[in-house]
Parts: sequence; structure tokens; C-alpha cells
Amino acid sequence: MFLALAKKELLALSRDLHGLAALFLMPMVFIIVMSMALKDVYSPRVQALRYAVVNNDNSDQTERLLTAWSTEHGAPAALGSDDWKDAVRAGRLKYVLQVDAGFAKALDNPPEGEHAEKVHFLAEPGLDQGLFESTRVSLVMHVARLRTEGMLALLGVQGDTAQASQAMFNNTLVVAERVGKQARPSSVQQSVPGWLVFGMFFVVAAIAGLFVDERSCGALARLRSLGATPATLLAAKVVPYILVNGVQAALMLAVGVWLMPLLGGDGLSLQGISWSALVLVLLAISAAAVSLALVIACLVSTHAQASTLGPILNVLMAALGGIMVPLFVMPEVMQHIAVYSPMNWGLEALLDVLLRGADVSAVLARIGRLSGFSALMLACAYLLFRR
Amino acid sequence: MMLAIRDLCFRYPGANAAALQQVSLSAARGEVLGLLGPNGAGKTTLIAHLVGMLALQQGQIEIDGQPLAQLRVARPTFIAIAPQEYAFYPTLSVLENLDCFAGVGGLRGARKTERIDACITLAQLQNYRKVQAQRLSGGLKRRLNLSIALLHQPELILLDEPTVGVDPQSRAFLLDAVKHLARQGSAVIYTSHYMEEVQAIADRIVVLDQGRVLCQGTLQDLLAGAATLHVEVEDDSALDRLLQLLAAFGQTSAQGRGALLALGEPGRLPEVLLSIASAGLQLRMARFGQTDLEQLFMSLTHRSLRD
Repeated sequence: MFLALAKKELLALSRDLHGLAALFLMPMVFIIVMSMALKDVYSPRVQALRYAVVNNDNSDQTERLLTAWSTEHGAPAALGSDDWKDAVRAGRLKYVLQVDAGFAKALDNPPEGEHAEKVHFLAEPGLDQGLFESTRVSLVMHVARLRTEGMLALLGVQGDTAQASQAMFNNTLVVAERVGKQARPSSVQQSVPGWLVFGMFFVVAAIAGLFVDERSCGALARLRSLGATPATLLAAKVVPYILVNGVQAALMLAVGVWLMPLLGGDGLSLQGISWSALVLVLLAISAAAVSLALVIACLVSTHAQASTLGPILNVLMAALGGIMVPLFVMPEVMQHIAVYSPMNWGLEALLDVLLRGADVSAVLARIGRLSGFSALMLACAYLLFRR
Repeated sequence: MMLAIRDLCFRYPGANAAALQQVSLSAARGEVLGLLGPNGAGKTTLIAHLVGMLALQQGQIEIDGQPLAQLRVARPTFIAIAPQEYAFYPTLSVLENLDCFAGVGGLRGARKTERIDACITLAQLQNYRKVQAQRLSGGLKRRLNLSIALLHQPELILLDEPTVGVDPQSRAFLLDAVKHLARQGSAVIYTSHYMEEVQAIADRIVVLDQGRVLCQGTLQDLLAGAATLHVEVEDDSALDRLLQLLAAFGQTSAQGRGALLALGEPGRLPEVLLSIASAGLQLRMARFGQTDLEQLFMSLTHRSLRD
């Protein structure tokens, strides 16, 4: 009986083109689009920022500063007849470096007060705060290097003061690195877990839709009349959809590992991860998604309800759970709310395994929480089904 | 009797009126029991009890002396239903649907193949094995609905309005199939509000209305005590008066240039004719004869079966 029901479920799903698209195509497209779109957020290409220079100080030091800057950040755009301030305000230029006259002189003998000659970093209003800060710090470092060079000369240091200054800045006595298996997470490594969890929870719409059809056409009554118990009927829906979730996971990971590099993005690295932890986490997420889907399926009575309630709930959980907007950029209140979203539990568990190198023992708590949620949802679905 | 229903009462939660009130009926092997009644009569509620979709509130249902609930646990495929709706999966093919329901009912291997083939042959669906159910015509869908019900060779078959929306050819086919099933020894309960169908195939008939059994028996038994009087008056303008006058004796309706009276008590015929004469109405034609199920139903309920 169980096999016949499970086979029927898979056959019906295989003929449901909308359901298949929602389960496989949609998360795949999200992974590709979001990885490409967020690539620069995770790996900022500072060289690509269009900038211009307004040089009012034609000194050697300023020339060296601007040459070093263009080596690192690309050549500046030529200033046209437009007022450059308008160009910056409108975002046509990301920033402008304006060097005041007398800047070189000020390097050796910095004047006191607000009206000292300076290099101005003038950015467009929409420039990402991280990029703004990193560019500003880079400029500060360049200027500091020139000042150090001047100070070394003043102190009577023999030899190439420029090289000596460079050497000092090369050895800052600071080492910065990310702890974990990855040197630096890429947009793909952030996108794949998020949209994989999102896609797995989309079984809600497919299960609820098929269940409504089954109930309204009388097929469910027929199955019950043939002796199929509520527990068997529910179990026969859980198992096939866990398989479907498994296929989804394999496909999304494959997209990250193989397809994204072909499309010019970063590849997802699975080297060194704990495969057993990954499988357990995926199973726990799948059980949570399918059991929630069964509750929704038992609650809705029409196709319209199934096709709206499921996706709305999914999008809400994704928005709250850090899938659409990373948790760390949310305000504190929202971060507190996020911990109640099962999608967040799944996402964090996947990030633990894929980014933080967690093994089974490290993700057991999150798996337990997902399993508890699944058990609760299954119990609710059973009671609703019987009713 | 194989099936015995005694004093069955049922009220849906929150409903004002009972869906079934003191319903008692029986069905025997080899018999087609016609369950006749208008929409809302309680036919589907009664069927839902038999397939285990509704729990007993009051009354008894026994099969061969065994409570229905016990039998359903021991032999769930003893009773099968072809419901009013197309109770199968529209995106699955004919074969896949049959395979699914056969598997759910416990058929395996060669036996399953044999039963599927037999049902396909019986329903004459051989050319549609691989066609998705949603692409079948209304008549073919009805046949598939029926063939699924027959997969496990049930001894009690419930057919709930099996000919709704089908062409005359498929209707004739389905009615023949029902008679064939009864001849093979199954008990068939056939619900419909098409009295000509019930009249044609039912060995016994139960007329239900508003949850009550109005009458039951063979067609001859039911029609024996009822008759109709068809009268036409010379003066067409007097038709309204005639209808008003006849309404005192039973369900009356205008028919052509005259009136049709369903006379529940044929012995009152002289009284009716006397009343017409006393009213000064000149009759052009009067025909008194046996009634049919529709007229019987009207005489019992003062409503049409199709209301």
C-alpha cells in the first residue's frame, strides 16, 4: 500500500510542471542570479569603481600618490565639462579625489586646524558603506606612507626612504584572516545554502496543491475506503518529498560547484566538509519542510488557498530567517525574531557545515530543533487529517 | 440480507436539520437497490457511512450480521464505491490510476495485472491505457471511475450518481455493466435522481427525501397504490381554476392544455371527478392510469425529483 501511494505521489508531481518549476527551477535561478548580483558584496572589486581626480597641487608627491592609487584602483575617468560634483551626486562617478593646493608641503609639515590642505575623498551618496570605508582607509594608508617617507627623510635616514616607508607598511604587525575552512566566503557559498533551504520549503505549495486535488475529487475518500489509514497516507507523502528534497539539494550543490564557475562566478567548495553532517542537516531541513507542508495541506480547502498561503508563508519565513536579507544586517529586534524561523535554523546549520567546517556533533543542537519542529508539525497534521 | 441498516440517524455538526432520520433499509446479493431522491435527500450521507467516511451517531449498519466497522477493518475491499466525482488522479494515465488503487487495496504481482486487465476490458478502456485520465471524455472518465471500484471484486458496490454528465451511449454501457455486476452476485446500491435509470435497472427501490425513507419495495409494489389523472377542460381560461381545485387532492402540475394530478389514493377518483363537475368545469378529456416514479415522488413530497 505504502509503495503504491508513494509511487502515485511521485508520478503526480512529475506531471505537475508548475510544481516542478517551483521546486527545481526557481531556487536554481535564485542561486545563479543572487550569486552574480551579490558577487561584489562578498568580493568587492574596488578597481571597478569609476572615479576622477581633481588635482590642485602639481607636486611630485601628489603625482606619486595618484600614480600609486591608479595602479591599485584603475585609471581615473577624465573630467568632462560637467561639474564633477553633479556627476558624483548623480552616481556617474563613484568618487572623486580632490587634492588641495599645498598638499605636498603639508605632508612634511602638517598645519594645525580645520583649514589644513588635504586630500578629499568625495563619494556618491549611494556608495556601499563597506566600500566607502575600505576606500577611505586605503587612501589614508597611501597618504600615511608618503608622510612616513617624508619623516624618515627629515630624521636623516640614509638610502631609499620610499622603499623604507613601503617596508614599514608591508609589515604592519597585524594579521587578519577568517577562522574556518574557507579563507573568504564567496557569494555562491552564501547563496547556495540560503536558496537551497528556501527551495526545500517550497514543497509546501506542491504538497498542498496535490492534496487539495486529491481531497476534492474524492480520490482520498476512495483511498480511505480501501483501508488506507491517516498515518499511512501522511507517511506516503513524507517519504517521496524527502527524496525530492534530496534531489533538490544535489542539484543546487551541483549548480554551486560546477555551473557557477562556468557562468563566471565563484565556485562552491565542498572540500573538507563533513558529509555525514551535511546529509543529517539536509534530512532535518527536509523533514521540517515536508511536515509543515502537510499541516498547510490539511488546513487549506481550495487550490487558490494552497497556491497562495504556501508561498506567502515561505517568503515570510525566508525574509525573517535571513535567507533574503543576511541576519547580520538586520536590526537587533529582527535578529531575535529570526531565531524563531525554521528556515533560519536550517540556514545556520548549512552554513555551519559548508562554511564553518562543523561536524555532526557541532550541528546536533540545530538538527534537534528542526526535528522537534517536524515532530510537532507531523502531530498537528495527523490530528487535522483525522478531523 | 447481506446489508442491513437500522434506524440510522445523522446530523452534521452545526446543522439545524438531520441529514438522515431513522433510515432503515436492506440489500441482498445479486440485487440492484435503487436509492432515489432529490439533491439533499441524504443519499450521499448514507453512502459516506457505508464507505467509512462518517462515523455512526445513531443506528446500526451490519453486513452479514457483522457490524460494518468491524468488517471494514477486517476486509476493507469488501465494499467499493464509484463516487459522484471522478475519484482518480487526473494527471495519471488510466493504467497508472488502476495500478495505484490496486496496490493500495493490496493486490500484488500477477493477480494485480490480471484484475487490472479484467477491469480495463469490462470498462472497454483498452485503447486508453496510457492516456492521462484528464484527457478522457466524460463517459470514459465514468467508466474509469467504475473500473477502479471493481478492481478488488467487491461484494457490495456503491454507485453514487454514476451517469451524471455522460452521453447516452456511455450511460447505456454503464447501466448494462451494473446489471452484469448484480448477475455475478454482488449487491449494488445505485443512487440517482434519474428515475428512468432506477426504474430500468433496480430490483428494489428506496425513495429518500429530507433524510427520511418515504417508501421502499419493488417498482410494482411502489406503483401499485398510486395513479395519475390527466384532465383537460374545454375552456382554456379555466385551467387555473382546475389546477387550484385539483391541488386539494395531491401534487398537481400543468401539462399541455390540461392538468396532471398525482393521486396517492386512487380510491378518491370519483370524489375528484365530482368536485370538477360541481365547479361547473366542462372536461374535454380525462385519462386515469398508472403512475411512474416521478409522479409517485411528486405525490409523496409535492416536489419534483429534480428540484
